[in-house]
Amino acid sequence: MDSTLDSEIILKVENVSLHFELEHFQQKDMRDMFISAITHPIDFIFKPQEILMVLDDISFDIKRGMRLGILGINGAGKTTLCRCIAGMMVPQKGKIISQAEIRAIFDTGTGIMPELTGRENARLLARLFFPDVKDLHPLVNEAIEFSELGHFIDIPFKQYSKGMQARLMLSLISARSSDILILDEVLDGADVFFQQKLSVRMHNFIKASGATVFVSHSPEQIRSVCDSVLVINKGKIGFMGEVEQGLEYYHQNLAPNN
Amino acid sequence: MEFNQFWSQVTELTQASLKSRYRRTFAGFIWVVLNPLMMFGVQSLVFKTFMRIDVPNYYLFLLGGLLPWIFFSQTIQMGTPIFVAQSHLLRSFKINPMVILASQVLDNFINFIASFLLILLPFYLLSGQNLLPLLLLPLAIVALLIATLGACIIFGTINVFFRDTNFVIGFMFSLLFFMTPIFYPKEYVPERWQWLVELNPLNYLLGPFKIIIHNQGIGFVNSILWSFGVAIAFALIAILVWRKKRNGFYFRL
Repeated sequence: MDSTLDSEIILKVENVSLHFELEHFQQKDMRDMFISAITHPIDFIFKPQEILMVLDDISFDIKRGMRLGILGINGAGKTTLCRCIAGMMVPQKGKIISQAEIRAIFDTGTGIMPELTGRENARLLARLFFPDVKDLHPLVNEAIEFSELGHFIDIPFKQYSKGMQARLMLSLISARSSDILILDEVLDGADVFFQQKLSVRMHNFIKASGATVFVSHSPEQIRSVCDSVLVINKGKIGFMGEVEQGLEYYHQNLAPNN
Repeated sequence: MEFNQFWSQVTELTQASLKSRYRRTFAGFIWVVLNPLMMFGVQSLVFKTFMRIDVPNYYLFLLGGLLPWIFFSQTIQMGTPIFVAQSHLLRSFKINPMVILASQVLDNFINFIASFLLILLPFYLLSGQNLLPLLLLPLAIVALLIATLGACIIFGTINVFFRDTNFVIGFMFSLLFFMTPIFYPKEYVPERWQWLVELNPLNYLLGPFKIIIHNQGIGFVNSILWSFGVAIAFALIAILVWRKKRNGFYFRL
């Protein structure tokens, strides 16, 4: 029975390519643009736009129960790929096919209204994360309890340490199972003990239904969370498969002195 | 996302932002009414008493243009920087950016309605005019709301790429205030300058308000059609801009 569940594909990435127009990089402001349009009108109109390829023809499937680790050096396109899977970005070529409910977290150090308390922020974020849940009270209370923040939950969020913020955010996002959970380099904010606690919760959560996409630079975290690995190398898939082989590929092919 | 889910997110966020604002100070609420009231006071003093603009019922005439103008210009200037201001949140989670923007617009809209009820209504009642035309106001307000939301999406997205957008917009609004028939009637503009008024989208959005509040609704149908035309144009441009720029949006945030 497990094997039929294992083979169920819940998200398909098909020939996805995404580029940015390089003007996006230049920190120009409007007044600069106005001046350059007047002083160099011909350049301004006819200068061809440079293109930066971030994802180049990527295809893979996410199956139910999968715990996929994504590895790659900085700028390889990991976060962009995650944002595409989450539906935040839309690839220029190819498509992502999925009916799955997807939640994504890319950073834990943010509240929505720092002046409000942790509890109020939790409630507000829960509304944003789980728009389909009618009564959020049980969910928010469970997440708060899991976070072990105790009486800190009723002080303003802006007074939280980074670790406390991470505890609250991670407790909240994992409070309800979703089909796919994307965690992009977010475990580093929490302390080791909480990471272990969270890892148990995530394993339960994965058993309950979902798949996890997990981005990290830490081999230990990848080993403890993932059952397969995707290595991105300059916007392409360098390797996809078993964890140890993936880590080996990553270290051999992408090490800085290589 | 379904509309009612979107709406429940927007209202929850607006409630929280009201709460967070009033926690800081109650003066925030007083300011909401005081700000347009002072602008109205100074302008009616200058234009009616000092410069003697000769329009019957000038107070109503001025309020009919000024209140929607304040809503439009202030909402855009508060909405334009909001994606950048909440960039950390938008980069951190999968959250619909439009929820955050719509909540800011709703917040300002509540202020707008408050200023309508507390400033315009007393003047209107005192003037002894027929109350029936006021029933047309919701139509004018819906068109203005659509245009405002559209403009906020357009400028808010541009602001992610050009961080001084709000500075430029503030400057543009200070020019536009004089180029829009708010404190003077459109008829004051000479024939050969009329094109300036006709090219100004604000003229069409404010038109129905002036007609309802000052003109007993005469000429309403024509003006509301123009107003919705402009509003839909803003909305379509907003959709185009967002579709074209959404990848770069997350990249540059």
